[in-house]
Amino acid sequence: MAFLTLDGITKRFGSTTAVNHVNLAINQGEFLTLLGPSGCGKTTILRIVAGFETPSEGEILLEDEEITHRPASKRPMGMVFQSYALFPHMTAEQNIAFGMTIQRQPKEHIQQRCAELLELVGLSEMGKRYPHQLSGGQQQRIALARALAVEPKVLLLDEPLSALDAKVRISLRNEIRRIQQQLKMTAIYVTHDQEEALAISDRIAVMAKGKVEQLAPPEEIYSQPQTAFAATFVGNSNQFRGVVESPTEGLCQVGDHTLHVSPLPRYQKGDRVLIVVRPEAVTLQHAAAASEQNTNGVGNRIAGDIELRTFLGPFTRFHINSNEHASLIADIPSQQAQGYETGQRVLLSFPPVACLVLPLDTQEKELEKLSETV
Amino acid sequence: MQNRTPVGIRESVTAPAPMKALGGFGLDKIFLILVLLYLLVPLGATLVFGLSNGALTTYLNIFNDHDFTQTLLVSLALALASTILAIVLVTPTAYWVQLRLPQARPLLDFLSLVPFAVPAILMGLGLVEVYTAPNPITSILSLGLVPLLSNPPFTIANTHPLLVCAYVIISLPFVYRPIDNNLRAINTRVLTEAAYSLGGGWWKTFLSVILPNIWPGVISAALLTFSTAMGEFTLASLFSIYTFPIYLNQVGQADAHKAASLAILSFIFTLICVLGIILLVRRQPGQKGEVEIAAAK
Repeated sequence: MAFLTLDGITKRFGSTTAVNHVNLAINQGEFLTLLGPSGCGKTTILRIVAGFETPSEGEILLEDEEITHRPASKRPMGMVFQSYALFPHMTAEQNIAFGMTIQRQPKEHIQQRCAELLELVGLSEMGKRYPHQLSGGQQQRIALARALAVEPKVLLLDEPLSALDAKVRISLRNEIRRIQQQLKMTAIYVTHDQEEALAISDRIAVMAKGKVEQLAPPEEIYSQPQTAFAATFVGNSNQFRGVVESPTEGLCQVGDHTLHVSPLPRYQKGDRVLIVVRPEAVTLQHAAAASEQNTNGVGNRIAGDIELRTFLGPFTRFHINSNEHASLIADIPSQQAQGYETGQRVLLSFPPVACLVLPLDTQEKELEKLSETV
Repeated sequence: MQNRTPVGIRESVTAPAPMKALGGFGLDKIFLILVLLYLLVPLGATLVFGLSNGALTTYLNIFNDHDFTQTLLVSLALALASTILAIVLVTPTAYWVQLRLPQARPLLDFLSLVPFAVPAILMGLGLVEVYTAPNPITSILSLGLVPLLSNPPFTIANTHPLLVCAYVIISLPFVYRPIDNNLRAINTRVLTEAAYSLGGGWWKTFLSVILPNIWPGVISAALLTFSTAMGEFTLASLFSIYTFPIYLNQVGQADAHKAASLAILSFIFTLICVLGIILLVRRQPGQKGEVEIAAAK
């Protein structure tokens, strides 16, 4: 049995369904991330777990005990908010001590624990400062220490890094992960940042329209997305909309092209599909040189002009304009990217195994919306 | 956080530039002096007029006047009771509405403005009317409370408690507005949720998290209610309760010099109250003002 179970949780606000029959089972010590675009219901789920919202349907079990209607103050949860929510009139130390004071813990214990927690978050010297005397990152560390002070069974983090600048965001997310692993704390983390989710989580629940699209470890979410939405939302990708031509041979018709993919036993001829190719699976060749070489085996080749070349450190990203497929992306290791310049005609190649084929019918409209916003 | 410059300091660094542009004695100083003259000349004139009959005798007269001490104490007690009642009633209500019933906020906004629209004399007459001769409709609407309070042993008409209640009503705009503004300025909902998640109940959260953060608003509300109740004349007169403003009015009709000295005393008394409240607010920890002072040092 899971440590924390969300069983058929639904939340309606008037006629809007924010969370639609969500089932989640979170193991003890697990770091689960709810990932999705804004309005997908991820924060609502977190608030339901915290006790700030009551679900319209379904129940929450913590260690087999039903806590659905237990008030927030009686739940063993610690919460970290996007806006830090530190009490402005209290010093960092007093903020951390607040929960322990309510629990009527002995004064000496509170002092000792405050010192321990300040050290854990690396702010031993800052205990006497007020929140407005601390930077955003420091405030969020204090907020984390404050949430941990009450020794919660589950730590809830609601987009805790969104208000911070890029560098602090990365260092603090590593810090959060280190502390969570050190304390073996069960944690639910809400974010819309896919990179953050991939970096920090044991498992990710990709959410859209109040539903969990896929629940899997980060590697699986990235390499084997189960839905077109998950594939599009997580990571960069080249996308081709097409129709299955031959499931056994693994052929899909995309415009005038036929793409070679792995055999598709679960599909039938005529099914509409989304073919996703990660940019790092794509290789480049100069168009002129490629025509002289013999092609070995079955592969996919698309010709295009380099529109934009972006050096990103370990790899270089090429935006390639192909007449038929608009803009495609290729991430090439920077050492191999030399010799390719803007304006050159190139040939993109990718093997059939690099093509992820996903059913399209039900989600086309959502994907269009998403591609407009991303 | 070292690179954060407090707003106050930034302003003081940039402020001298335009003054210099005007050359020496700035226009702003001239305006300041004009405003000070406008405020201080009548006070000075009142002071001089009050003292013109012999300083010592005037003040001895006042302090020896039994009515002076008595009415001042009555007014103080009424003002204190009104302030406490108004704050105790309005602060948790405003917090609760902000948190749980935000859709009721327009109604509260409207209710808090009603005392401005209804003249005090109308309200006073209304209260006297309702509690001296209750009619069946008010009896039913008040679920029997009005008849209970209209007859012995709980007769409330023309008593100090009813006057305190009336003062709370007339000071409602001054109480609700600053408290509500402060509640809107702090992130009430998130702070409350943070306190809840740490195990705090409603009252604990209100008293130890919300109240200290809306303290300036509460103090401001208290100050305004106190001043309103201290200087209120119409209602006290209608209720036939002998308060300080009524005493002041009577003295003014009989002895203008004494009235002028009393006005000065009343001014000094109010000034002490205001300064006391300002000091009280300044002492609150974690306020930005305190840090700016520290940084400036």
